[in-house]
Amino acid sequence: MGNIPAKETRSRGASYSSGSSTSYSDTFGSRSGRRNTTSGVFSGHFIESKRSRRQEEKDKQRERHYNNLIVRLEESIDGGFLAPYGTYKSNLDYDTDIVRRLIIQRKLAPFFTPLQDFNESWSDEELLIILSQSTLHTIETAYSEAEEEEDDIDNHKIHKSQSYFRRQEQKAKLKSLITRVKEKQKEEENRFLEEKVKAKEGQPCSPYLFSKDLFLKLYRNASECPICFLSYPPYLNVSRCCLQPICTECFVQIKRLDPHPPHDDTSQQEGNSSSTPGSNANSLPHTLISEPAHCPYCAMPDFGVTYDPPSDIRVGIEGIKPSEYHLSHKKRQSIDKPQIKSSHSSSNSHLTGLHANSESGSEEALQEHDTGKGTEAVSKDLYQPVKQSKRRSSLASDAVGVITIDMIRPDWEQKLISARNKLARKAATASAIHASNLIIDQNSTLDARANNARSSVQNSYNTNLHSIEERMIEEALRLSLLDEEERKKKAEQEKNKSPSS
Amino acid sequence: MAALPKRIIKETERLVSDPVPGITATPSEDNLRYFHVTIEGPSASPYAGGLFKLELYLPDDYPMCAPKVRFLTKIYHPNIDKLGRICLDVLKDNWSPALQIRTILLSIQALLAAPNPDDPLANDVAEDWKKDEQAAIKMAQEWTAKYASTSSQ
Repeated sequence: MGNIPAKETRSRGASYSSGSSTSYSDTFGSRSGRRNTTSGVFSGHFIESKRSRRQEEKDKQRERHYNNLIVRLEESIDGGFLAPYGTYKSNLDYDTDIVRRLIIQRKLAPFFTPLQDFNESWSDEELLIILSQSTLHTIETAYSEAEEEEDDIDNHKIHKSQSYFRRQEQKAKLKSLITRVKEKQKEEENRFLEEKVKAKEGQPCSPYLFSKDLFLKLYRNASECPICFLSYPPYLNVSRCCLQPICTECFVQIKRLDPHPPHDDTSQQEGNSSSTPGSNANSLPHTLISEPAHCPYCAMPDFGVTYDPPSDIRVGIEGIKPSEYHLSHKKRQSIDKPQIKSSHSSSNSHLTGLHANSESGSEEALQEHDTGKGTEAVSKDLYQPVKQSKRRSSLASDAVGVITIDMIRPDWEQKLISARNKLARKAATASAIHASNLIIDQNSTLDARANNARSSVQNSYNTNLHSIEERMIEEALRLSLLDEEERKKKAEQEKNKSPSS
Repeated sequence: MAALPKRIIKETERLVSDPVPGITATPSEDNLRYFHVTIEGPSASPYAGGLFKLELYLPDDYPMCAPKVRFLTKIYHPNIDKLGRICLDVLKDNWSPALQIRTILLSIQALLAAPNPDDPLANDVAEDWKKDEQAAIKMAQEWTAKYASTSSQ
């Protein structure tokens, strides 16, 4: 193609889109003699391949994340599951691997299936009927709004940028992923239903179905999570600071606020302490802060919880099969008669001394707690499972056993850094525009002041201005060419892929 | 529309069964996330005797984000602007999912009793308030009588 005058390139830039972009950049390169334009294209290729690899990794991670959110009958522990029931919409951005591990280690309460309503006066039979109707997951609530089309700013533009196509592609990918996950959850649900039917008809069924005793043990004294108002077994997480219960599903919803500029009040100090070392406090982008999540109950910073696993339930992973959990006859009778006393005393007396089937070797020896005396003393910790070593005071956020929000969302720092970078880029663009405006201003004032006296200086300003203008146009052209080329490359890739697959 | 979360249903039920003195909140018939609210002016404030209408909306993310609340009745208050928007920390960054409709409305009632001109939303009102508090209070009383008196509604 050789040297094409810049003007022509400019005016016909759009129609040249079929050519290869390296030749265009050669044009620019030879004409302006600036190497960075050409090298920009090459590094562009490099970045592109790196980016696609990174994208693949991201996709894999996301796939794993969403698969981790499927509630599976086989993955239960102490009567709860490793994935949330779906009370909240599917915007679950916590680290699922970490949370699953914490639940298996019994450091965090499992995701119990919530009861929409609970009444202490229900008989065991009534309670069991309601429990038998529960599902593993509420697909419709959790994924309902996921399909809602979000408006993209580029939708209304004639020229759609490369990132627009990338965004669209990502959206489509996510959509199909969610559909797949939904499908898998439905399969789980159907299997669960079939097993329940089999159990009802007395056929051999999955050993992972919960026994009646397990259901009663868990839900006879259900308590309400103060955030979602749903009823759960009384073995909930407890806030480290003020000893308030919180279900795991609500816990994973608590998060840091998005990075924001510091307020002019006390939060500034916190902001400085949480900002990364080496950040420059004077320039605006670096002053963005991200504060640790506060306790929803007492507003103590750095929210964390502890979990006391019930010592007398060891079912599911690392325990006996949920169907094999049985209460001894005597204890069962005591559960059969719901006490009409105040809720805390009844809950405490029920929670103790139950024991699981001796079939399991891993089962811990059961201690019979003598709760008769303890009942009043522990009345405050109503929701906590009864345990001899019960915590009565608040703990530091770094104490052993405390699970904080930052532990289940370790990416907060990355988010803060990228938010700062984004702002820094914005600021740089703004100051570039500002600087170019200054040059123009200066030029026009000079024009007015020294009309012909300093023509040489003026000339230099003019050429300066001219070259800036040119460079900006070149840059715009270069970017659009890169876009176009990339789009084509992708299209080709798709083409190559589709016949092979 | 997706089913209403249990929390909203229970909160609504409890607002009816155990109402807060001086505050009413009734859900709209066609949208159970939208509430018509009235708050009585606190007795020891320039808003005493007034009945203020507000609207309250529970966004999709509620209770993980704060309800949206706005005054519909005109009010002369340094932390409430012409459009009825309210400057209150618990409606913004200090929202906590452990708060509820009832607690948020109580906070707003408390804001009426304790205007804070140092953190203003309506700058002109806040300036008046700082310059001449007595005059500002008088103005607030006048506005209350004019726009929020129970007889005029």
